[in-house]
Amino acid sequence: MDRDTSSNNDLRQVGYDPLIDHAGSFLVEDHKITEAVPHTDALEVMPLALALERYPWLRERYFKLIDKEQDRYTREAADAGPTGFFIRVFAEKKVLLPVQSCFLLRTPGLRQAVHNLVVAEKGAELHLVNGCTTARYTDMGTHIGVTEYYVGENAKVTTSMIHHWGDDVEVYPRSAAHVEKGGHFVSNYVAMTRVGRIEMYPSAILESDATATFNSVVYAPAGAWLDIGARAILRGSHAAADIVSRAVSDGGYVMTRGHILGETSGCRGHMECNGLLLKESGVIHAIPELEGRSPDISLSHEASVGMISREELAYLMASGLDEEIARSLIIQGFLEVPLADLPPFLQKTVSALVTQARRGEAV
Amino acid sequence: MDPLLSISDLWVEVGGKSVLRGVELSIPNGEVHILFGPNGSGKSTLLSAVMRLPGFHISRGAIAFRGTRIDGMETNEIAQLGIGLAFQHPPAIRGVALENFINAIDNTGEIARGFRELHLDSHRRRELNCGFSGGELKRSEILKLYAQSPELILLDEPESGVDLENLAIITRTINQILLADNPLEVSRRGGLIISHAGFILDYVEADRGHIILDGRIACSGNPREMFDAIRSEGYYHCVRRMSER
Repeated sequence: MDRDTSSNNDLRQVGYDPLIDHAGSFLVEDHKITEAVPHTDALEVMPLALALERYPWLRERYFKLIDKEQDRYTREAADAGPTGFFIRVFAEKKVLLPVQSCFLLRTPGLRQAVHNLVVAEKGAELHLVNGCTTARYTDMGTHIGVTEYYVGENAKVTTSMIHHWGDDVEVYPRSAAHVEKGGHFVSNYVAMTRVGRIEMYPSAILESDATATFNSVVYAPAGAWLDIGARAILRGSHAAADIVSRAVSDGGYVMTRGHILGETSGCRGHMECNGLLLKESGVIHAIPELEGRSPDISLSHEASVGMISREELAYLMASGLDEEIARSLIIQGFLEVPLADLPPFLQKTVSALVTQARRGEAV
Repeated sequence: MDPLLSISDLWVEVGGKSVLRGVELSIPNGEVHILFGPNGSGKSTLLSAVMRLPGFHISRGAIAFRGTRIDGMETNEIAQLGIGLAFQHPPAIRGVALENFINAIDNTGEIARGFRELHLDSHRRRELNCGFSGGELKRSEILKLYAQSPELILLDEPESGVDLENLAIITRTINQILLADNPLEVSRRGGLIISHAGFILDYVEADRGHIILDGRIACSGNPREMFDAIRSEGYYHCVRRMSER
C-alpha cells in the first residue's frame, strides 16, 4: 500500500518517523500489516500471528493478562485474530533507541481490532513509541487495541502512546502489564485532539521490588469524550507505583480514574490527578482510589480540578504577556510536567501537539 | 515634560474597603523614590493598583505614565508601556519553567547575562517560584525586571527575607536596570521601592522618600533622613516632625 505525503505527516505526528533513529518499526494500515522490521539483533519485531506459529510457548501468554471475555471489545479483538505486533527483547539486551509502531485508520467507518504482545526478557530494556491515528480525511471509525506486556526480572519497558484521532473515532485500548521482580514499567499517554470516545484503563501487576509509572496527559476540546485511567496492583513486597494524570478540558468531557491496590508489606503508591477547566461547558471528573490490604504500606493521592488561577495569570500578564500567551504558558506547563522524562524527540513532538492544540489549529 | 509616573487623588478599594484614600504622588524622570509605611498602610496596594492587578478596584483618581492615563488599561498593556513590578510574594506556577517564562518576556537579547549575574543558571528548568528560597524568589523577580527592561521599576520590599549576600546581588542588578546598563544613557530610569528595613538605601541611590499612612501620602522628603527618623521615633513622629518643618 503506497502512502501519500499527507499520511506520512500524520504518522510523524504520532512519533512514527523514519528520520528519527529507531530500533525497529511496525505499521498497520486498516487491517493490513505493512511494516514489521527490527533494526538490531537485540530484538524481534514481527506480526503476532507469525510469532504464535513460531513459538508455542507464546500461546500461553496470549490473552493471559487480559480476559478475552472482559467486555465486547476484547471479544471482538479475539474474534478478529492476532493482527498486531510481537516484540521481544532478548535477555540483558538494552535497546535504547525507540521501536516505533503505528496503527493507522484509513478507511472511514472501519473497525480496526489489533492485538499486540511485548516480551522484555530478564534484564532487557525496551522503549516503545505507539502512535495511533487516522488518515487526514477520516473522521469516523473504531480502534480496539489489546496489548499485553511481559516485563521480565530487572527488565525495563517504557511505552509512550500518542493518540491523534479524527473527530468521531471511538477508541478502546485494553492493555495490561505483568512486571516481574525488580522490573520497571513506564506508560506514557498523550491525547491532544478531539476524539469521539476513548475508554481505557491499563493495568499493571507488580511483583517484589517492581515499579510502574503511568503518566497521562490529555487535552479535550469541545466534543471530545475521554474516560482514561490506570490501575496498579502492588502484589510483591516493596513494589511501587505512581499514577499521574493531567487533563485540560477546553469544553470536552474527561473522566480520570486511578486505582492503586497495595497487597503486601513495604508497598508504596502515589497518585496525582490534576484537572484544568478552561470553559464552563467542559467536565473533568477525577476518581482516585487507594486500597490497602496490608498495614505496612504507604498509599497517597492528590487531586484537583479548577480553572486557571487569576493570580497566576495576572502575575504573568504583569510582565507584559498578553492574556492568551500567558494562558498557553500555564496550560503547556501544566500538561508537560508528567512527561519531563520523555526522550527529547518525543518531548518535541508532544510540545508541538500541545501548542497546536491550544491554538485550535488542525494538527 | 510629563513626569514618569503621576498619581492624583487615587482611591482604591480592596474587598469593598477603601485602602487608598486620595494618594498624590509624582515621580519625575530619572528619579527613584522610596515608599515607607507601617503594615496595612497601603504600600503594596499602591503598586498593585498601578499595575491594575485583579482585586484592586480604582474607585477615584488617575494614574498616568509619561502623561498617558493607564488606570483604565489592562495589566499587560501597562507592562508593555514600560512598567515592571517585582512582587513581594510571587505565586508559584507549576509546570512553567523559569527559563521559558523569562524567554517569553525578554526584551534585552542578552538574558544569559541576567541568569549568570543573578546566580540563576542552575534554576533555568525549575518550575517558576516553586520551592524557591527567599533569596531565590527575589533574584528571580529581579531577573524578570532585567528581562523586561522597563522604564519604571516597582519593587515591593526587595530586601525582605534576603540575606546581605543576596541583597548585594539583587541591588547590583537593580542599578544596572536603572542605568539601562548603557554608558551613553544620560538619564537613568525611574523607580518606586517599598522598603521596611531601609537597607536598600545603602545600595540604591534614592532621590525622595514618602511615608504612606492610612491610605494617604502623609509626608515626603529626603529618604535617608526620613528613614533615620522613622527608626528612632516611628512613623507618626516622623510625619509630625516633617510637617513641622
